[in-house]
Amino acid sequence: MNSGVGWLLTLGSVALLFIVLGHLLVALLLIIPTWRIFVRAGFSGALSLLHLVPVVGLLVIMAILAFSDWPAGEAPAAKV
Amino acid sequence: MFTITSLLALFGLSSAFAAVALAFGAWMAWRIVAKAGLPGWLGLIAVLLTLTGIGALVPLIALWIFAFMGWPRDAAAPAMAGAGKAPAGPVGALPAPMAALPDRRTWRLSGNAAGGSVSLAVDGSQPSYRLTGAPAAAPGDLTVSDPSVAAPHARLLIAGARLGLEDLGSVTGTFIDGARLLPEHGPRDISQARTIRLGTVELALSRV
Repeated sequence: MNSGVGWLLTLGSVALLFIVLGHLLVALLLIIPTWRIFVRAGFSGALSLLHLVPVVGLLVIMAILAFSDWPAGEAPAAKV
Repeated sequence: MFTITSLLALFGLSSAFAAVALAFGAWMAWRIVAKAGLPGWLGLIAVLLTLTGIGALVPLIALWIFAFMGWPRDAAAPAMAGAGKAPAGPVGALPAPMAALPDRRTWRLSGNAAGGSVSLAVDGSQPSYRLTGAPAAAPGDLTVSDPSVAAPHARLLIAGARLGLEDLGSVTGTFIDGARLLPEHGPRDISQARTIRLGTVELALSRV
């Protein structure tokens, strides 16, 4: 019984490790370009680390870029 | 039964969240891309592509391309690009005011560096000045003696009553009121700025 539970715990830990590593890898693929976008927009590149927050991190990052004034300047709004 | 109902509710909630997030994300992508000077619908399409069989791969590639491509905003940004060549004339997107009174005051940058206190006068006798960490080698060189200041680090440009700043590819960075100035931004008008930072050296900007 104990060995069965131990085996399950080991399996769960390994699965969790892979999930965390996968998340970090995907986050890294997003953080690098987002860091550059933030810096080019005039913000601190460290804001791109919000990608490490699952699910809502991306939305928060997009909201910052979409709804705040870029310190480094923006293109003039297109005429409609 | 309760479990199945709960699961269905969870899936319904997740789907609703996903739909709202997708619509909101598409709208935000439109705005972000438009701020960079590109057509907003490109951002919209990039986000909507996640609905297709392509999944998230193409939007990820699009994100990398967007981050490292040239932005139309930057092409239009060097408002003072000609300042070094023709300091007196109207330049780019920031023409001189039509009835501007002559302003002969001197720009001054002051602060503290590793080599002691810094007080640099920018009197307009040169069309441009180089901010450098090395000893001055030319009339337009302004020395900020600090290990974090490159040689050269940045360029100051005089255009009428305005002062511009351009980063010359420094590693430690140039900042205007805390915002990073990159070389591809070109010269930026700092006439209304309070401080600039070269590496770790913060310099207060004033007119005297």
